Amino acid sequence: MSERGSGERYWRSLEDLGDDPRFAEIAAREFPSLLPELADPRTRRTFLKLMGASMALAGLTACRWPEERILPFAKRPEGRVPGTPERYATAMELGGVARGLLVTSYDGRPIKIEGNPDHPGSAGATDSIAQAAILELFDPDRSRHPSQRVGGAHERRERADYESHIKGRIAALAGRGRGLAVLGEASSSPSLARMQGRLLRRFPALRWYEYEPVTRDNERLGADIALGAPLRTHLDLSSADVIVAFDADLLTGHPDALRHAREFAARRRADDGAMNRLHAVESAFSVTGAMADHRHAASSAAVAAFAGQLAAFVLGPLGELPRGLAQALARTEGRATAPFVEELADELRAHRGRGVVVAGPGQPPEVHALVHLMNDRLGNVNRTVHYTEDPGPTRPSHEAAIGELAEAIRSGEVETLVILGGNPVFDAPADVDFAGALGRLADSVHLSLYRNETSNACAWHVPRAHFLETWGDARAWDGTISIVQPLIEPLWGGVSPIELLSLLGDGEPAPGHDLVRETARGYLGRGGFESAWASALHDGLVEGSRLPRLPARPDPSRVARRVADWWPPVTPSETAGLEIVFLPDPKLHDGRFANNGWLQELPEPMTKMAWDNALLVGKATADEHGLRSHETAVVSVGEREIEAPVFVMPGQADGSLAIWLGQGRSVCGRVGDGVGADAYRLRTSGAMHRAVGASVRPTGKRHELATTQDHFAIDLLGLEETQRRRPELLREATLGEYREHPDFVRHRAHTPELHELWKPVEYDGYKWGMSIDLTACTGCSACVVACQAENNIPVVGKVEVIKGREMHWIRVDRYFKGEPDAPEVAFQPVTCHHCENAPCEQVCPVAATLHSEEGLNQMVYNRCIGTRYCSNNCPYKVRRFNFWNNQKATTDLEALRHNPEVTVRSRGVMEKCSYCVQRIEAARTLAKREDRRIADGDVTPACAQACPTQAIVFGDLNDRGSRVARAHASQRSYAMLEELKVKPRTRYLAKLRNPATDGGGDEHGGHA
Amino acid sequence: MTTPPPQRAYYQVPDQDPSRRARLVLGYDDFSSVNDAVARIVERPRPGAGWYVGFAVSSALLLVLGAMVTYLVTTGVGVWGVNQPSGWGFAIINFVWWVGIGHAGTLISAILFLFRQQWRTSINRAAEAMTIFAVICAGVFPGIHVGRVWFAYWMFPLPNQMAMWPQFRSPLLWDVFAVSTYFLVSAMFWYMGMIPDLAMLRDRARTRGRQIAYGLLSLGWVGSSRQWHRYEVAYLLLAALATPLVLSVHSVVSFDFAVSQLPGWHTTILPPYFVAGAIFSGFAMVVTLLVPARQFFGLKELITVRHLENMCKIILATGSMVGYSYAIEFFISWYSGNLTEAFVFVNRAFGPYSAAYWLMVTCNVVVPQLFWFRICRRNMLVMLLVCMLVNVGMWLERFVIVVTSLHRDFLPSSWGMYYPTWVDILTYLGSFGLFFFLFMLFCRYAPFIAVAEIKTVMPLAHAHPPEESHG
Repeated sequence: MSERGSGERYWRSLEDLGDDPRFAEIAAREFPSLLPELADPRTRRTFLKLMGASMALAGLTACRWPEERILPFAKRPEGRVPGTPERYATAMELGGVARGLLVTSYDGRPIKIEGNPDHPGSAGATDSIAQAAILELFDPDRSRHPSQRVGGAHERRERADYESHIKGRIAALAGRGRGLAVLGEASSSPSLARMQGRLLRRFPALRWYEYEPVTRDNERLGADIALGAPLRTHLDLSSADVIVAFDADLLTGHPDALRHAREFAARRRADDGAMNRLHAVESAFSVTGAMADHRHAASSAAVAAFAGQLAAFVLGPLGELPRGLAQALARTEGRATAPFVEELADELRAHRGRGVVVAGPGQPPEVHALVHLMNDRLGNVNRTVHYTEDPGPTRPSHEAAIGELAEAIRSGEVETLVILGGNPVFDAPADVDFAGALGRLADSVHLSLYRNETSNACAWHVPRAHFLETWGDARAWDGTISIVQPLIEPLWGGVSPIELLSLLGDGEPAPGHDLVRETARGYLGRGGFESAWASALHDGLVEGSRLPRLPARPDPSRVARRVADWWPPVTPSETAGLEIVFLPDPKLHDGRFANNGWLQELPEPMTKMAWDNALLVGKATADEHGLRSHETAVVSVGEREIEAPVFVMPGQADGSLAIWLGQGRSVCGRVGDGVGADAYRLRTSGAMHRAVGASVRPTGKRHELATTQDHFAIDLLGLEETQRRRPELLREATLGEYREHPDFVRHRAHTPELHELWKPVEYDGYKWGMSIDLTACTGCSACVVACQAENNIPVVGKVEVIKGREMHWIRVDRYFKGEPDAPEVAFQPVTCHHCENAPCEQVCPVAATLHSEEGLNQMVYNRCIGTRYCSNNCPYKVRRFNFWNNQKATTDLEALRHNPEVTVRSRGVMEKCSYCVQRIEAARTLAKREDRRIADGDVTPACAQACPTQAIVFGDLNDRGSRVARAHASQRSYAMLEELKVKPRTRYLAKLRNPATDGGGDEHGGHA
Repeated sequence: MTTPPPQRAYYQVPDQDPSRRARLVLGYDDFSSVNDAVARIVERPRPGAGWYVGFAVSSALLLVLGAMVTYLVTTGVGVWGVNQPSGWGFAIINFVWWVGIGHAGTLISAILFLFRQQWRTSINRAAEAMTIFAVICAGVFPGIHVGRVWFAYWMFPLPNQMAMWPQFRSPLLWDVFAVSTYFLVSAMFWYMGMIPDLAMLRDRARTRGRQIAYGLLSLGWVGSSRQWHRYEVAYLLLAALATPLVLSVHSVVSFDFAVSQLPGWHTTILPPYFVAGAIFSGFAMVVTLLVPARQFFGLKELITVRHLENMCKIILATGSMVGYSYAIEFFISWYSGNLTEAFVFVNRAFGPYSAAYWLMVTCNVVVPQLFWFRICRRNMLVMLLVCMLVNVGMWLERFVIVVTSLHRDFLPSSWGMYYPTWVDILTYLGSFGLFFFLFMLFCRYAPFIAVAEIKTVMPLAHAHPPEESHG
């Protein structure tokens, strides 16, 4: 570690200085009282020891900085107060879509990411991936220097080396640039587009390809069929009463998921208005399926067929439709139609203009085309469904592009390839053999954050600057432009794609800042540019840059031409073997975040599986093929096969297997190497989302999966008890039951009368409390990573998670209900409940956990000796123990990400949720300075801040008007395990469902 | 000498006739022969090869304990199998088990002394030694089971610059006081009782080293009447002081569980149930140790079958109490109507750890029933086997209480399993090393039997005519 090295150097230089007269002079000036001591040879050693210690501390401070520079106060930048956090707006682009962010920086170190409250996409919320970007920035495994392949291995080079190499290459190309190609990731960056245009003008023969392994091209292709152009579809869930999702994970697996989740949850608050209804038809259990009022598990192929059947009902009578379409739909209608499809059609028709039909990216373009027709027929277009242009309208599909590029390399048309990010060697379709193609190139340059599989296969590797280190720009899903502004100098001298393109195009690298500003002159207007630029930077977005909505109407005749001979197989029995559905990893996206410990260790919302990926199979399919959880199986599609652990997932469609893409990396880093199975090896062009004819055979080999919750895998006794307790712990009702018995929560469990044995403690000042709305919680788990980032929570690794030693302060419990093949799911986030009668406090022998005057249950880490008695006595089991020195492996570099307001815990102490006490104290300081009480909304814990649905509210219970006080007063409010009389400060709002078949409650409000 | 001639019925043998009070000591006609019998063990220049083997094995195990503790302290509690939700595991199980074993000694020496049960004299010294060593073994575990071993002393109310007291509401703190008090009183009682015998060893010592060592240890005992008078009073007072401790220590240990609110722990039956279990396991351990020791050191006349049989009867009685507690726990968990509580017990019997539960019931309740039969109470092999199984059962009882309550508590989402690691197992085995290391040294260098007391129960001490002798 060079940081550590720098600290050591400092130490040595002091010793060198020891006898230097100038040192004495400096010391005399700085510490006049010490001068006689220095002069006395007998005490000089002592003095040097003292000085040495303090200088060593200064050296340690220097370790925190990537560059060894200590700025004295005299040179303090204007407006900068050391130790005071500053927030900057920026954006993170993923898959060509920006997420608007607000990043907190302490003394030049970005330490925490939040959503930008002004941004239309996030509105202040984030997903887990954005939360984890801080960890990525300070990842010690990031590529630190350029390298060149010499023989089989890469050798270290300097920046000047690759720059001169590229310059030489460009000079050799001269002319039109024949033989040169660029492979980019999906990007909506206006600057990148401008650089691309400039490059193409300089080299007209240059070929530009775009590839993204997790692609939404089917949406574009479907829009192209129906609307005549690859338009982008926007959903307005806030005005949708009925939502029908075909294999579409709107709430987490969509670029606009944060907005969807927010709008969806707003329509679930039955007290504030009519509740919407969500129907999901899907193969693998998604978060959207879990939130659905009705979920139908069907293989991905059958989902398409159901969409066709629904189209037949919605678009009919068929006689009025163009011939090909009518024929296709008639064939659909002829199939045994599930009764729910007709009901769906009726419901959608009953909510004209207030419904949404949507298909996911895994569904074929034809289904998307039908969906567009349905939305149009139902009057939803321009009400709940809007169209805008999609950036990059003329490009071929990602799947086609990567194939064409490989072909062009093989035919010798491309000799020099510049790859801007991405990892095609790992994630290109298996039949393309991209690695093989790369080997034929005369020259290749790979720009990448990490040295990955592709870097190793290229002639040159160039470290890429992290988005928190560099200037850039990008568009959100609705087109809003955000400026990506850096929070820190590039740690390892990385460059951004636009900077590399400027080197390529101009022969000289231009600073990203200048490039982005130049682009911005285009969209910010030249008049008053500086102020517009400043406000764009400050707000994190360019006002009015949203893409204009286009008045597009789908054309049935165009759809008819495509759909005429389109026929999806309906049931798996009609095809040979099983289908396997390839899903993006809910945490690692396409695999690029595989080295991110926070994401790896995050329990996936549905399976509660941390680390690893698994072959998800339904119970019936598992029994049929002899598959068992925690054992591996070999899946084969044609000649390709992989071995992956099996996880029997309730609610997974029969005959359909699912696996997440992105695990199984081989050149990744200390965290991600060798975790999970590489599903890309099964995925070929033409079967990017689903392969049919798969077969699976168990190997009987044990492979322990790190699940943090073990329902359905435990014995029958435990399972029955779980089901008995669930209705009391996680109280829920249908909307009808709620309307009939608004006090249903009190009847879900019979709490004995609770008496006070002594005079209860009064809380006169602040009385902090939390309320979690189970109706709104989607289980997305952004809160878990947000908490991890805010509170310096360590990553413990797969083995420890298996042992039950994960450290998350907030967890999201997931409960199944009903039949294993069609279960209902509910989520329940659990943190420390800050009980007023805290059982943990009573049993600690050293008083390391105690109550504050405001009712916080506090941990005094310094006092804790680690008896773990508190954890045993905690009914919610929210306390977490440092079984090891979990910080031991934290390098100085990684320590930069730590929140300085939160103690980093050592080995052998207990820790737990503090209600983000550091944020309470920060708000208190502010309020005191302004001589007022802390107002509602001044304190937002990290979990609540990240929550896309605002399911978590926090505040002062003594403030009658606060959101949390009102939530606690709600009729849906209940305390978990109330009968223990621990008087928890965290209460839940019972979950409401809105099924179509809502018979209302029985006399007693539906007893548990 | 203990085997009666086959042609005579047992009631015709003087020491076995239930209608007559049996002789407590057999085969010794004068006091000096008793002195010889006990002092011989200490004075032999070399003990038997068996002692060396035993000492070597226990020293090796003690080293294992040291290695495991070092590994633990340098690495972290993570080397054990404890987790979330099972914050406690082997360490606490072993602690409760060893403390329980440590109950027999004081019971024998204090309570039986107050009740004038003179048969205790032959076994009290060894039983007390066992108690002290067991409490030492027990004391190791709470010290090392905490996350930051180097701050374990914070549990003591030591003055400090922060004026920070321990938290007196915590049962763990009560434990600290209860166990340390028990240890100190037991150790005093044991040592005081040993003084006349140490003086006897001093007087017989032939080497300078022994003379000095035993001379220092015997605190200037000369056996004067004045000394004997003070001694008897002090002994009685200490016995009275120690008696409530027998009941209190394990009651307090049980509070660790009973005072918490965890289903399966939070029950009022725990204190009596723990005390009965402690005496049960303590006596089983005494028998386990004495049967081979009397054989090995030739003390069959001093520790007679009658002594052992008495202990078997106590084991039978306390074992039945323990069995009754098991049944009542089940009944109450059902009768209370608390479903969470009921589940804990159903889960104990039929959940993932049911094997441990049924093995516990077999060892603690079924097996001791053999002691209803006289032949089993008098057969050394059966006795040894039953007593060892009782201690296996008592260990499992603590395992069942600690683990099955913790692993499935209130929220099913937090349920998990506890599996010990190799470090857990070796640490437990290592604690046997510590125990037997100390016990071996005790056998070799201390008066194994309370000689001075034995003399008081010999026929010779009662100047009756021989025909009226009843011992």
